[in-house]
This record gives sequence, C-alpha cells and structure tokens, in this order.
Amino acid sequence: MKRAKKIAAKKKPAKKPAKAKSASKTAKSAVKKPAIAKNGGKAGADGVVNWNFKVLSHHMLDGFGGMGEGMSIQIAPDGRRILWLAHESAPKNFTAVDVSDPRKPKVVCQTNLPQSHMRSNSLETCGNLMAVAYQTQKKGLQPAGMELFDISNPEKPKSISFFDCSGPHSRGVHQLWFCDGEYVHMASSSADFVPTHPQDDQFYRCIDVRNPSKPREVGRWHMPGTKQGDNVPPPPRHPLDKGYRAHNCNVYPQRPDRCYLAYIDGGMHVLDISDKANPKRISSWTNSPPYTGFMHTVVPLFDRGLMLVTDESTENNAKDWPKLVWILDARDESNLVPISTCPLPDHKAYAARGRFGAHNIHENVPLPTCWQSDQIVLGTFFNGGLRAYDISNPYQPQQIGVFVPPAPAGAPTGTIQLNDVFVDEREIVYTVDRHIGGLYCLEMDF
Amino acid sequence: MTDSTILDLFPSASAGRFGRRQKRERGARLPVTIVTGFLGAGKTTLVQRFLKSSEGRGTALIVNEFGSEGIDDALLRESTDEVTLLGNGCLCCNTRSDLQLALRKLVADRDHGKIPHFGRVLIETSGLADISPILQTFSTDRALGDEFAVEVVVAVVDAVSGLKNLEKAPEARKQAILADRIVVSKTDIADTKARKKLLAMLEDLNPRAVIDVAVKGDIDPKSLTDTGQADAIERHSGFVAEASHSDGIVSFVMRDRAPLIWPVFQRSMETLIALRGPDLLRIKGLLNLAGSKGPVVFQAVQHLIHPPVELTEWPDQDHSSRVVFITRGISERQVDDLFKACRALGYSAEE
Repeated sequence: MKRAKKIAAKKKPAKKPAKAKSASKTAKSAVKKPAIAKNGGKAGADGVVNWNFKVLSHHMLDGFGGMGEGMSIQIAPDGRRILWLAHESAPKNFTAVDVSDPRKPKVVCQTNLPQSHMRSNSLETCGNLMAVAYQTQKKGLQPAGMELFDISNPEKPKSISFFDCSGPHSRGVHQLWFCDGEYVHMASSSADFVPTHPQDDQFYRCIDVRNPSKPREVGRWHMPGTKQGDNVPPPPRHPLDKGYRAHNCNVYPQRPDRCYLAYIDGGMHVLDISDKANPKRISSWTNSPPYTGFMHTVVPLFDRGLMLVTDESTENNAKDWPKLVWILDARDESNLVPISTCPLPDHKAYAARGRFGAHNIHENVPLPTCWQSDQIVLGTFFNGGLRAYDISNPYQPQQIGVFVPPAPAGAPTGTIQLNDVFVDEREIVYTVDRHIGGLYCLEMDF
Repeated sequence: MTDSTILDLFPSASAGRFGRRQKRERGARLPVTIVTGFLGAGKTTLVQRFLKSSEGRGTALIVNEFGSEGIDDALLRESTDEVTLLGNGCLCCNTRSDLQLALRKLVADRDHGKIPHFGRVLIETSGLADISPILQTFSTDRALGDEFAVEVVVAVVDAVSGLKNLEKAPEARKQAILADRIVVSKTDIADTKARKKLLAMLEDLNPRAVIDVAVKGDIDPKSLTDTGQADAIERHSGFVAEASHSDGIVSFVMRDRAPLIWPVFQRSMETLIALRGPDLLRIKGLLNLAGSKGPVVFQAVQHLIHPPVELTEWPDQDHSSRVVFITRGISERQVDDLFKACRALGYSAEE
C-alpha cells in the first residue's frame, strides 16, 4: 500500500479562482440545446432516434467527453446533487457535474490522471467517500489500484488513501462496487497473483474500507484454472480471447452474503460471501460458446426471482453481433435458466461504424439517490444508443424507449457510442458517450 | 388450466394486476390520431396544417382509402402502398389495402432504417369510412394494440354542409358520435344561424366531445394530439336522452364509488359482449379496482376488450369508477341491471 500523494489528482478549479471562473463560463457555453429537437426524431445517416425520452440537456464536459463506466450521485453537504463520472481514458481522471438542475448541468471539478498509460474507468460514491479504480495499459506499470477520496467539498476532492494492486502480472483495477461505506468489491489483480494466461489477471477482491485511510483485503476469488498452481486445467480460450477475468462484482443489502460476479469470457458466477475470507461459488452460467464471451454485468431482481446479465460488445462494425441483455429465471439460484433477451434492432442498420450491442445497464445501486426498478431495464448499446425495455412479462421484454443522438462533433467512429447509464431517484436518466460526446440528461417518457 | 399469472411466477411490489403501472394511458405505445369527416369537410387542410406544426413533427400520415366505395376489388388487391417523404420529418403512405399490414410494414421499415423514425401515426380516413373497424384493429394485442394506441379520434364537420350531411348520412352521424373531438370547419363562410344549429346538433349527438371551431382552417395543433377528455364525464353528467337522428345510438356513464372486483367486472363485460357485442360501439373509462393502487384504463370496441392498463396515479381527486358506454340500443338500465346481477352472484361466490 502506498500513500496517495503521488496519485492525488490535480484539480483544475483548485489552481486559481480566476481559472475556475473561466471554466464555469466554458461549462455554461458547453450546455447545448437538445440536439434532437432540431432533427425532430428524423433518422439521420447514423439512425438518429428519440422515442419516449425527453432530452433535458447535453454537456460536452469541457472538451473531455470520453466517459467510462463509473457514474454515481452524491448529495453534497451543501445540498447540491453531484454526478461523479469516470473517464474512459487519459488524460482525465474523473469529472464532477452539478446536476441539481438537470437542464443546466455544471462541471464543478475535472481532474487529471498522473500518467497517460492509465485509466480510471470506474468509480462509486457512498456519502462523501468516493472509490476510483485505476488500470494500466500494460502489466507491471504503476500506479495500478484503487484510490479513496473525501468528496465533502466536490470542488476539491481530497485523496485519503491509495490501495496498490500493481504487480508484474497486473493491470490493476478495472471495475469496482462500493455502496455500503464498508467494503469495496472489485475486479482487480494483485502483486502475488500469477495467472495461467496473461489475459486472466483480474479476479474478485473484497476490500475493507471501514477505516478509509487503511484499506485492507479481506477476501478474494478467482475462477478455477486461471491461477498458476490450480488443480484444474486452464479454461479453453474463446475466439476473441478477452480473458477469464472479473468485471462487475455487485453486492446488494437484500443478500449481503451474495456477490453477483460477471467474469468476461468466463460467464457469470453467484458467490456465497457470507464468509468474506472464503467466497464459495454457488452457481455459474455462460452463453459462450456458441456466443463470443465478454460477460459484463449481473443485476439480480430480488423480489422477482429474475436476473439481468449483459454482454459487452467490444468489436467495431458489429463483428461480435449479437451482444445482448439476457434475462434469467433465478428463482433457484443454483439453477439459472435463461428465458429471454431484450430485443435489438437489425444490426445491419448500425453495423457500419463503431460498436453496436449491449454494454452497461442501470444496476439498481442500493443508495437513496438511485432509482430502483424491477419492471424496466435501461441499457446502453454504443451506436445502438440508450434503450429501455418493459420486462413486466420477462418472457417477452418489450422495447419502450430509444435514444440515439446524432454523432457528437469529432466522434472518431462518426457515430454516438453510448457507454453507460444511471438513473437517479428523481427518474432523471444520465447517459454518457465513450469517446467524446460527454453527458446527456434525459427524462423517461413512458 | 391454472389461474396463475406472471406475477405469481415473478412477483413484484411495483407491478399491478395488468403489469407495469404506467404514467399515461398509452404507456410507451405509438400514439395514433384518427381524423375522420365527411367528404369535403376539410380533413386534408387540417391534416396538412398539423404536419407543418411543431406538434406534428415526425408524423407518419396514412391516407386510408380502404373504406371508399366504388373501387374495384381487383384494383384494391393489385395496388401497392408507397411511402412519400414529406417535410418536417413526416412521411405519407396511401393505403388501399389492409391498414394493419400497412402499419406493420411502416414499423418494420422504420426499424430497418429504410424510412425516417416517426413518433406518431395520423390516419386520415376516407369520407365515408366507418371508424369502428379501425378502432377494432387497434383494440387488441392480437392486432395492433401492443404497439399502437389510439389517442384521439377527431371528426371534422364543415359549417356549410355539415348539418345537411348529419341529417342525411348515418355515416356522418356515427363519425360525430364516436369522436373524442369535433372540429367545425369553414365557419368563416357559413352563416351564423346555420352554425349555431350545427353546434347544437353536435352537442346533442356527442355531449362528451370537445368542439373546436376552426376559422379559415386555423386550429390549435393540440386538437390532434390531446383528447380533451379529462372533463368529458362532467360534460356528460346526468341522463342524456337519445338524440334525434342518432340511429338508436345512446351513450351514458356508468359510475361506482365502491371499488370494483375485477373478476366480477370482467364477467359482466364478457356477458354483455357475448349477448350484444356488435352493439357496443365504444366503451372507455377508468376503474377503481379492489387491490389495484392506481386507476385501471378499460376499453372495449364491439366484441374486443383492450388489455387493461393500470396507471400510476388518478388524474384527479375523484377516485370513483366511471365508464362511458356508446351503444346501439342498449340502455343504461340494462347495463346497470346486468352489472348488479353479476355483482350479487360474484359476492355470493366469494362467501
């Protein structure tokens, strides 16, 4: 473990008050009128659609609108509603946006990463504490790990500690889950983990942060066969070979003894974490083969005995089509049964540019600032936009809303690439572009 | 056979008997406006103005000619539906064949990116069209009811010859009776006396409808997107005598303050439909059902019952069930007696 000083991000507005003023000016001018209104729902070359969403605002995030998959809402001590966003890649670390008025979002803080060979990608807040994941481009680089911040003053996040996860075989932390103020559950590697295949470096780790200045690991689990010395053979490689490694590791208060773990090419697993030091696998499910791997998120719908499982599309031009949101009958957690998928439009209309297919969904994060629904699934599908599904009949999910904005100016793929979505308890929908387009604030109109 | 539902398999505190509770009646379905009116009433002028307005942006216009008379059957089968792109994100499709097929093709073409995305469907019927079959097409999920919801039925009546048409043509009367809104056109060239007489007759035929008066074709575009039915029950309050020239068509409001038991209401409606289906022209209202948190929108057209929709909230303080019946020759008393009988039997069965 290292102290966080080296990592502590530079805070733009903290430098000079004068600069902060000009930054807020930029922020104001960056708030665009909803682009959709001009198009009136007419399909453009890239299939622009707005069906049953109302666009409240679009913010390019001051020219750094390439966003990852960390979105979390904090109610600041002064009452402001702050949306914390992780960036998809360097140079920016995270951005805080005041979304108290979602029609007029304001950037209040935007920080830089200390190194260009790293990315933050994922973050979560709980009260005035924020956890940020750091992953390096290559194994063995630093800093790789997890940083905790005191965000009681959103303009000036203060680093509390840095939990080092670097190592000769490690890229650090890709994704984390933190909503109880006590434990960070994360997809991470470590200095002492030697994978059987270089792609399989990240696994599930549970970090006790009850003393935020001294985070400590209390448990871990890896898929058998992925660590050297395991007594089972390594798993077979999938054609796209994205690795047998952990992605989302969701834990909910309804079942604090369960971790719902997506494992990329290794499918998904339900872990019994009642003894955090010794997680045990209860069940697993995978769609690959014949599908092409990259399982991303598992969201249980406890009352309903259902489970949402997403793939991530990682290839351009829909080469890995179909990448889907799956619905599982999870009434018996030891026997998960896929019963349907959320229908996607014909991929050919979207295949020309960029990625097309499932990625993140709204995850019912168990916090008062997060909307909870077991009737509607909201997911981002890259150039397929944001899509909402009514799953009141889980055997027949129905699409009830679509938001495919026009390609943001300078979009490298020439299309929107919506990457993540979060809905707050006011039912305001926030969705972000992966490359350049920043933040869109929407209302659900269905 | 089991009485189990999806809710029994996968229970949810946030769902009702009829699935997800919805913020509005049409839920996420595509809104449909039906514009009807006698030949030369001014439907096209009204529609063209709407398509150019901001409310009309992104509308798919379907000019429905299948109800026209005098077109050879062979010609009907051979003709094809073609889509024309209009300004303001609108598109137009002339359909002489099956409305359902035309709409399905429009949605499929939209989803395949062949035609622009549209957010509303506007059906302009032929002058002589009976809208009952159109309403039926939208009334069940076996047809179009899953994806489309009829939001407003507008009847255009012109102030110059409207009165004469209403007196002579039963088709024109039925259009006025079934409408949610009536637009009186050409008022600028009609004399005041005739206009007043026409308005009185329309109010007589359809006391529920909002009547808009268009001067030189100008009308609030919202007339084509909003039923204006929020206070329709109040307009329809009390006993309404059978209107002259109404061809035996009557309308009345069934009200009940006590929560209704769904199986009892359902059986009552099924009995009514079994006995008099063809005479149930349009039934629509809100139900206060025992066990449901919000009001349930109930709709039926002839022998078809639309899948009910539970709303998240009541529109006002009045939480009593109220259902408008438009029937041919079925009186309020008869319906009331049937419901009373079923209710009595339903309760005894529960005991």
